[in-house]
Amino acid sequence: MKTRILGLVALAAVIAATAVALFVVPPDQNQGDAQRIMYPHVASAWLAYLSFGVTALAGIGWLWKRDLRLDAVAHSAAEIGVMFTAFAIWGGMMWGRPVWGVFWQWEDPRLTTTALLLALYVGYLLLRRLSDDPERRATRAAIVGVIAAVDIPIVHFSVEWWRGLHQTATIGSPDRVLNPAAPMVFVGSLLGMLGAFTLAWLYLMIRRYQLARAEAAREEARRMDRIMTARTVEAAR
Amino acid sequence: MTVAAPPEPILPPRRRPWGIVVLVAVVIVVIGFLAFSSIGSALVYYVTPSELLERGNAAVGETVRLGGLVEQGSVEQRDSEDYELSFVITDSEASIPVVTTSAPTASFREGTGAVVEGSLDEQGVFRATQVIVKHDENYEVPASGTVPSDNSYLPGE
Repeated sequence: MKTRILGLVALAAVIAATAVALFVVPPDQNQGDAQRIMYPHVASAWLAYLSFGVTALAGIGWLWKRDLRLDAVAHSAAEIGVMFTAFAIWGGMMWGRPVWGVFWQWEDPRLTTTALLLALYVGYLLLRRLSDDPERRATRAAIVGVIAAVDIPIVHFSVEWWRGLHQTATIGSPDRVLNPAAPMVFVGSLLGMLGAFTLAWLYLMIRRYQLARAEAAREEARRMDRIMTARTVEAAR
Repeated sequence: MTVAAPPEPILPPRRRPWGIVVLVAVVIVVIGFLAFSSIGSALVYYVTPSELLERGNAAVGETVRLGGLVEQGSVEQRDSEDYELSFVITDSEASIPVVTTSAPTASFREGTGAVVEGSLDEQGVFRATQVIVKHDENYEVPASGTVPSDNSYLPGE
């Protein structure tokens, strides 16, 4: 019940933040209406960082505490993170065509490292399907999840470290946090969208975690079933 | 004496997930490709006018990306049958005149960042096949009475 309320609140917040981005905020002087894509784009990228950070931390937690619930958290976060990474890339492409003139540039460090991030976590999800032993699967996934997380700061700071097409952070870089390069109406709308998306993420995480636990319970029941059948066959000889 | 029944399969045979193995291999190859391409060339996504001119005659005819600011007052457009746009790309130390027949997006304007793809000709003019407008991190509310950028570049307006 509480989760359902959270879901409804998150849905209302996302709708409200989207309405603000579409109808309340003025167009940008240089980008025009394309600027409105920035709100869900930046919020999705933030959730990608958050998700993969959670995957890495929960993976470390599994290696340390050997609690399969932590592996379920890591799995849920990775799956949701892949979804938001893909959404951030797609939104970015829809923005890039009208503003830059191109959908995609392979040689841009931000774009390439983000594509790598997506590939890494799709790989993580594929790896999880290689083993039907829950503990071995959790250990392998945790190792890959921790290694892949190295790409998160690389994606974020790629715009500072290398010459590229993608602009540097407007509010998310250390010297910009208190001095954003945008008027308050844009910053406020972005913060609203970040909050709304984060609520939605929390709801999705809870539901995906519940699903992961249910899957684990079914997997365990099937395993017990196979063992019992085997024993019955053995006893009947 | 009875013959023992053939042994029943006790556990269902494990599926061999070759499809997944192939997919993982594909992902690894893609990652390798991305890593290689980003180390190989993305570190220099574009060269600046100073860097290009330093190469002297060696730079003539070589396809490169040139990046810098569109110099104030340098944009000229010929709006006849054959559209041609010319402007100067500068990094405040060196400047290179650019000529192109490709139309940039609406966000193109004097003073903005731009990345042009093409090559220098023997007269020192950069013949660009593509003009990409580099948006910076600054956002701006249109001043009252001004029209925010539309989807076509109209110089002189």
